[in-house]
Amino acid sequence: MSDETTSEGPAGGELDRRELLKKAGQVGAGAVAAGSLVGTAKAATKRSAATPRIKRGGRLIWGLESDPAHVAPFGGILTANHWAKEFAYDSLVEWDRNLNVRPALAEKFEIRSKTEIRFTLRRGVRFHNGKEVTAADVKYSVEKMLSPPLPGSISTVAQVPAIEGADVISKYVVRLRLKQPDARVIGFFAWGRYAPIVPEGLYDQINVSRGAIGTGPYRMLGYEPNDRVEYVANQRFWKPGLPYMASMQLKILGDEQARVAALRAGAIDGATLSVDIARSLAGDRNLTVLKGPNAAFRELQMTIKTGENKPWHDQRVRLAVMHAINRADIIKRVYSGEAEYSGHVPPGYGPWPLSDKELRQKYEKFDLPMAKKLMAAAGQSRGFSVTMTTFALQDYPQISAVVQSQLKQINIDVNIVAQEAGTFASNNGAGTFDWDLTGRGMRGDVDGYVAEFHPAAPVFKIWYPEYRNTRAWRGIGNGRIQLDPPKRVPIYKDAQRALMLNPVQIPLVAIKKYQVVRKRVKNMYVAFSDFNTGLRTVWLDG
Amino acid sequence: MGGYILKRIAFAIPTLLGVTIGIFFMVRLLPGDIIDILFGGDLTASEEVKEQAREQLGLNGSYPEQYWRWISGSVQGDFGFSLRNTEPVSNIVVDALPVTLELLVLGLVIALFVGVPLGVISAVRRDSASDYSARIGGLVGLSIPSFWLATLLLLFTSRAFGWVPPLNYISPLDDPIGNLSQFILPAISISVFTMAIVMRMVRATMLEVLGQDYVRTARAKGVDRRTVISKHALRNALIPVVTIVGFEIGVLIGGAAIIEIIFGLPGIGFTLLQAIFGRDYPVIQAMTLLIAFTFIFANLLVDILYGVLDPRISQ
Repeated sequence: MSDETTSEGPAGGELDRRELLKKAGQVGAGAVAAGSLVGTAKAATKRSAATPRIKRGGRLIWGLESDPAHVAPFGGILTANHWAKEFAYDSLVEWDRNLNVRPALAEKFEIRSKTEIRFTLRRGVRFHNGKEVTAADVKYSVEKMLSPPLPGSISTVAQVPAIEGADVISKYVVRLRLKQPDARVIGFFAWGRYAPIVPEGLYDQINVSRGAIGTGPYRMLGYEPNDRVEYVANQRFWKPGLPYMASMQLKILGDEQARVAALRAGAIDGATLSVDIARSLAGDRNLTVLKGPNAAFRELQMTIKTGENKPWHDQRVRLAVMHAINRADIIKRVYSGEAEYSGHVPPGYGPWPLSDKELRQKYEKFDLPMAKKLMAAAGQSRGFSVTMTTFALQDYPQISAVVQSQLKQINIDVNIVAQEAGTFASNNGAGTFDWDLTGRGMRGDVDGYVAEFHPAAPVFKIWYPEYRNTRAWRGIGNGRIQLDPPKRVPIYKDAQRALMLNPVQIPLVAIKKYQVVRKRVKNMYVAFSDFNTGLRTVWLDG
Repeated sequence: MGGYILKRIAFAIPTLLGVTIGIFFMVRLLPGDIIDILFGGDLTASEEVKEQAREQLGLNGSYPEQYWRWISGSVQGDFGFSLRNTEPVSNIVVDALPVTLELLVLGLVIALFVGVPLGVISAVRRDSASDYSARIGGLVGLSIPSFWLATLLLLFTSRAFGWVPPLNYISPLDDPIGNLSQFILPAISISVFTMAIVMRMVRATMLEVLGQDYVRTARAKGVDRRTVISKHALRNALIPVVTIVGFEIGVLIGGAAIIEIIFGLPGIGFTLLQAIFGRDYPVIQAMTLLIAFTFIFANLLVDILYGVLDPRISQ
């Protein structure tokens, strides 16, 4: 019997934020602000009926694949930064495992106008240092989000929606002022990555690089660079009954085989592994293999710069590439079947992405004759040569090799250059590339997946100043200021369709994420967001 | 002897100065800087914001200005702050140094304690079964990459015994046995190449020395075989081995990075590699300088040891 388990990731469903906004304005303290990025509560209901008796206590050791560099609450660039700090902090609202928006430190919020949101805080919530959470703390935190001190990077400000500032209305009510209408605000707080709530004056109290004071289920004892992060249970956590474990350690084990050995020997309780390695462990009676959809997807990115006259500046060539790529073959050969078709918004991201059927049968249909026809129409039937840079790590070299062989069929001779991450980032940021095979990750709002195609994005001028797509631009511009979620869905879908018909980036596939845990680890799931959120509610059986 | 040591130290100073210049500029020749890394995933940051970040991290000013700031701080023990987490670099070095030093010392001890006797046995029992075994072992040791051996050892002990070395660093002062159990596999992994080199070098020089007139004379005088080998032959055979050990320290430090990653040891190599990926200039500079200093210092010791082993050299 296989131990491979599909983690119940975000389910499809209708966005319910309009209802949320209405309710948030009406309901009193303690009511559930039942909004959502996605999903229904069906899966959760099924699970709760079968939940066994939860055991308390115990210590879990989780293997992290890279060092977080620091655990400062604001301005952390690396994903590992949030892996390390996510258990110490909460935000005003949060996502559940199905990416439904739930109240967190704010028991409710109210959209007072297009540029004002009021949050009412839950009373009696205490930070790890015993201080009660008040509106002054939220104001301080928002100020830090807008200007993250070192060791955070000011670059994360670009991820912050159009927040102008926060004002204390009363001890438990805070007003968020926006510079302009911005639909990304709630997603930004629910994601939490850049929006933790910390006690006022935190940066004057502790070394935030190595310690944390938040309200999360676990209190951070400290971070030892290149070594580990230690946590103990927060006995005063605001969610009754949680957390279940007494303590937790995040051990940095950069080498995948070291994580496998440590898992087998019981030295760690869980870790993220690559597809093939994880599947090879399915027969181990002490281990459970979990998998789930993930926000990360791969794509082929092109530049269209002024003064250049490259073959792919012709829309027909880009469309030919779109249809010459056989994604089913990539999924089979590179990911052993564990990936999905992806548009510009990855599958699983609520109601926002285009459907699998639409992608397979229309926009990303593998159609070699059509691709050849498009190349011929563009005067490129003899093809051309192009350099495609990619990361020299993970699955990137492999997927590049498959894309290279597929594009050969329409006479595009792809020269692959695999680069170290820093070099790749440098060239990508400066736009000094022709084609990049790269990846995307989680975003707090759908806008994050398409904003770069709009001329207002600084990177647009660097990557593709000669690209034109007014239909997509209109959608992206309108979507950001449309505060009614159900009205946003068709806007963004239309923008995506426009981007697929006139592509400048070619989405490839969305990969599944694998995590392996020891049998005693209960209630763990693979989070869509690429973080280890499941550890918040894990309990240990023995 | 004193003059000889002072002369060696005087040679080391310009070497170190050259190293600082080389390190400083080579790091900056790497494509991309920390700003590119920091903004790597960000598609909306403007050039002004990037420039602000550059100033925030103290990366403003010309390269000579930046070099002067760094070198004048370094001679006073101030290596600056990490660009990734604003920790003082000296703290990072102090945390990581004991781990790597212990790994190097243990690796060297294993290499010498196994390699030297094997080389002697192999030379003394030339063309015997034990000689062939040692020579084949030496070839294997030279051919096996240390990271491969480390991974194999780790997977083997986890599968066969359900055991891996303790994950969190244990100080030898707190728990010597625990510390040894943590370092034994990494030290074996890192020592195998050096062990093979030492073995082959000892064998070759012993064979040469054993054929010398003074050894034959000692034997003719009826000196006991064991004394001839240990006192007359081995001491002279060790001079080239000492040279090799000096060079091998560099090899060991290089190998330490990957071994530290595999075993999750927070040492200099692991830290340096993370710093390179993150373009954390002050940490890269300080760590590389430390490695260069260790290498130069080890070779200085080797030079001094020459003088001890063969007084003619220091004269």
